[in-house]
Amino acid sequence: MILDRLGKELLFFDGGMGTLLQAEGLKPGELPETWNIMHADVITDIHRQYIESGSDIVLTNTFGANALKFHDETCSLQEIVRTAVIHAKTAAALAETGGREIYTALDVGPTGKLLRPMGDLDFEDAYEAFGEVMRCGAEAGADLIHIETMSDTYELKAAVLAAKENTSLPVFVTTIFDERGKLLTGADVPAVVALLEGLRVDALGINCGLGPVQMLPVFEQILQYTSLPIIVKPNAGLPKQVRGETYYDVLPREFAATMREIVSQGAAIVGGCCGTTPEHIREMTEICRGMPLKPITEKNITMVSSYGQSVCFGQGSKIIGERINPTGKKRFKQALKEHDIDYILKEGITQQDLGAHILDVNVGLPDIDETAVMVEVVEELQSVTNLPLQIDTVDAKAMEAALRIYNGKPMVNSVSGKQESMDVVFPLMQKYGGVVIGLTLDETGIPKTAEERVAVARKIIKEAKKYGIQKKDIVIDVLAMTISSEPEGAKVTLEALKKVREELGVHTVLGVSNISFGLPSRPVINSNFYTMAMLNGLSAGIINPFSEEMMKSFYAYHALMNLDSNCEKYISRYAGISSAVQDASSGASKMSLKTAIEKGLKEEAYHITSDMVKKQAPLDIINEHLIPALDYVGKGFEQGTVFLPQLLVSAETAKAAFAILKDSLAKSGEQGEKKDKVILATVKGDIHDIGKNIVKVLLENYGFDVIDMGKDVAPERITEKAKEENVQLVGLSALMTTTVVSMEETIRQLRKSVPGCQVMVGGAVLNQEYADMIGADFYGKDAMQSVYYAQRVFKGDKKEKMRLSLK
Amino acid sequence: MDTMTKEAIRYLGYGKHAVDDHTLALISDSFLNLGTAAGRKFIYRIFDLKQMADDKILIETAEIYSKNLRKNLKGCNKIVLFGATLGIGVDRLIRRASLTDMAKAVVLQACAAAMLEEYCDECQDNIGRELKPQGLYLRPRFSPGYGDFDIQYQAVLMQMLDCAKKIGLTMTDSFMMSPTKSVTAVIGASATKEKCHIKGCESCSKEDCAYRRDTI
Repeated sequence: MILDRLGKELLFFDGGMGTLLQAEGLKPGELPETWNIMHADVITDIHRQYIESGSDIVLTNTFGANALKFHDETCSLQEIVRTAVIHAKTAAALAETGGREIYTALDVGPTGKLLRPMGDLDFEDAYEAFGEVMRCGAEAGADLIHIETMSDTYELKAAVLAAKENTSLPVFVTTIFDERGKLLTGADVPAVVALLEGLRVDALGINCGLGPVQMLPVFEQILQYTSLPIIVKPNAGLPKQVRGETYYDVLPREFAATMREIVSQGAAIVGGCCGTTPEHIREMTEICRGMPLKPITEKNITMVSSYGQSVCFGQGSKIIGERINPTGKKRFKQALKEHDIDYILKEGITQQDLGAHILDVNVGLPDIDETAVMVEVVEELQSVTNLPLQIDTVDAKAMEAALRIYNGKPMVNSVSGKQESMDVVFPLMQKYGGVVIGLTLDETGIPKTAEERVAVARKIIKEAKKYGIQKKDIVIDVLAMTISSEPEGAKVTLEALKKVREELGVHTVLGVSNISFGLPSRPVINSNFYTMAMLNGLSAGIINPFSEEMMKSFYAYHALMNLDSNCEKYISRYAGISSAVQDASSGASKMSLKTAIEKGLKEEAYHITSDMVKKQAPLDIINEHLIPALDYVGKGFEQGTVFLPQLLVSAETAKAAFAILKDSLAKSGEQGEKKDKVILATVKGDIHDIGKNIVKVLLENYGFDVIDMGKDVAPERITEKAKEENVQLVGLSALMTTTVVSMEETIRQLRKSVPGCQVMVGGAVLNQEYADMIGADFYGKDAMQSVYYAQRVFKGDKKEKMRLSLK
Repeated sequence: MDTMTKEAIRYLGYGKHAVDDHTLALISDSFLNLGTAAGRKFIYRIFDLKQMADDKILIETAEIYSKNLRKNLKGCNKIVLFGATLGIGVDRLIRRASLTDMAKAVVLQACAAAMLEEYCDECQDNIGRELKPQGLYLRPRFSPGYGDFDIQYQAVLMQMLDCAKKIGLTMTDSFMMSPTKSVTAVIGASATKEKCHIKGCESCSKEDCAYRRDTI
């Protein structure tokens, strides 16, 4: 068994396959995997050469063998994989090994597609494509699975899950970092390490992209973060191009010398990638074999990650943004009920802009499908923010679904000391990885004393160990009880915080604002308690980054405790702040709202409207100022004197003014009629949505209720929604000739199931003729035309609609 | 005003009209953001080119049928396959702006397009310099989707260049590139220097296009 030797002695991989096949006559664009059938002898011989050069592990010729990448009518995928494993095993039997045991690694490369939401490949489809190959490889007798050359953490996660769930083979993983130590999709070294350790692979490392020398700094970073055996498989130097041909020029001796250095620093398995040959491997094994392995040390780092970055606990305190949570928030509840995902995403983006390091995600509401919404929100958040997320739910199903599709190593909120809770949450953590918050309460409730809370924490840590979950992956929440009913509440919490850090050596989190429940001017208590908590060892506060008082405490604490070098962050946030505020308000008074909107001055429009609403009725402001301004800009756009960016700046500015008026109307408690609903979608197969988003902003401005279904939307879904919401107008967008087909199909289905519903279309490839051909009711050549058409469809007076929209 | 800014303004539909200061500020801001978000990468390979009868072009084993492309490549005996991308960070940046500030999103989109063109030009200049000593001169880039050069050939180009692995450029089932700010193209190389290097925009047959460079 390879696992018996892994990490105890140095093992050798083989070298490049593609370069050798090209020398044997592989044509550009030809699928190398077909050679398993067409030129079996060549493949077997290459394996034999590597084995005789000293490789202990050979990779099967299956890099591109997955259903998404491999399309060849002459041979089946199963046959390709099966024969590939046989060739490696045959070579092992034929080769002179001197009694060495040889392992066959099923080579699994990327699908060549990008996953949703940035691409069009579904996570589970990627999973299935990998699973198929892995089942096949395991049946054929592979000894391990080697997932390599991965440049996207999301695809990587699908591959590792597929390996773990479809086979019982050991899983090795290497990714392709660039010289800055980043994957193509943005992940840094600790983010990749966090993800892979969480998924419990057996070994991890780096291959391809760089030569041995350029790999050193990345390798050193991996050493710093991982507690697993490290694999290093460089190319024979950086790729060079002459006349469009790639070649590698690090010679075997030079290659071997650097590999020796890499082994002495702590690599456990070494080999080569592009451009390396049996000669490179021979030189390497000759000077490295028998070298002692540097012992692997346990890294005690609590870290979470997203697709693009990692957050390590311990350097100062971290902010976990609490705003994505419906508890006590009317507007958020409404967004959840109306499926207004954009609102939720904006809450995420704004928290990041305000300084949050991690975002808590809670979408639990009695009458919604929490699992579905949780998955959607997590997926969508991942496309607009690179902050790690904290999955916050009491629903085990929602928790598992989110953990599965999360792109990285998440925080999980939470497990408690109750046996029932631990029985549910720990198996999920064991499988998917993550850092889990342990609440210090159990079957008997929340203990009164600090000692008792520490005891619950101890129990949680002990139980987690049974699942192989380490202390570094648990953070303890000692719970804050409001001082209005628990006079000793704050003191107990602070004491418990300190004890947990000192006695148990684990990190801590706290929902800080509970402390002031029932008291007036809560931010005063909250922000002071926050400072005290940080001083007593709070690793991460779950707080509201919109609260300036809390942020002041945060920045001041870090400056005071020398956790903000040269007070840089403090200064960049607070230097010159008073003068800026003055500028904005003084400029506002001189201008009319109409001018502010026409010129697109958001700040000014906000201030002016805030002033006006004190003196005038909101509806008058709309009719006398907002509508004339929007009309003016709209007309200018039609006449070619105002251009798209200006039109949109004005639209966004009007939106800011509308928001204030809406608040004012809501406070007065007036009820209004329902707004006209319009569905907007980019059709199936199309992932460009900027045009659709432009139309959306303008339609909203003109008082329509836009149901935005996003991009790449199947005809069935659009039709179903149109029926369900009984809409009279659907707007479809398509960018390419290849996706107009889906547009046509969507129109056909709409005609059949929702007769009477109008369809307007737009997008780069469309024109009136094309629109007529596919049966659309209207072709909008620009965004304003769509607005005018929508107004005609609903036959309402524009001003009247805008008035109603506010209610 | 630099070329990239001028091109961004053209993409935004300004034509010959003057640009307001607010939009200009958005443009320069956008180029700054894009500078951080972009991970530019390119790849190319050079092949012998065989032009057959019936508008057929042969690159190794790949057959391409296109009248327009054949015309573009007339007199060429070598062909450069080319792929370039600004990376997925740009897509994320635009997506984020679409939620918070649509005007910014639209300007970012235009600036990214300008940046990509400029990057492709730079890459092409470098390839041209490399080929010059061999007495080879480059033609304008020609991408799948231009004229009758079917978009489906994008798959062939991307496979021959191994774009996914080499530069992280992938394609959806409907032949859309992801990252979206990417280009695949062929560039002919011939022993004779062409007088006029008409670039993509002017060579397009859609002469009534509002964004057309030579009419604005």
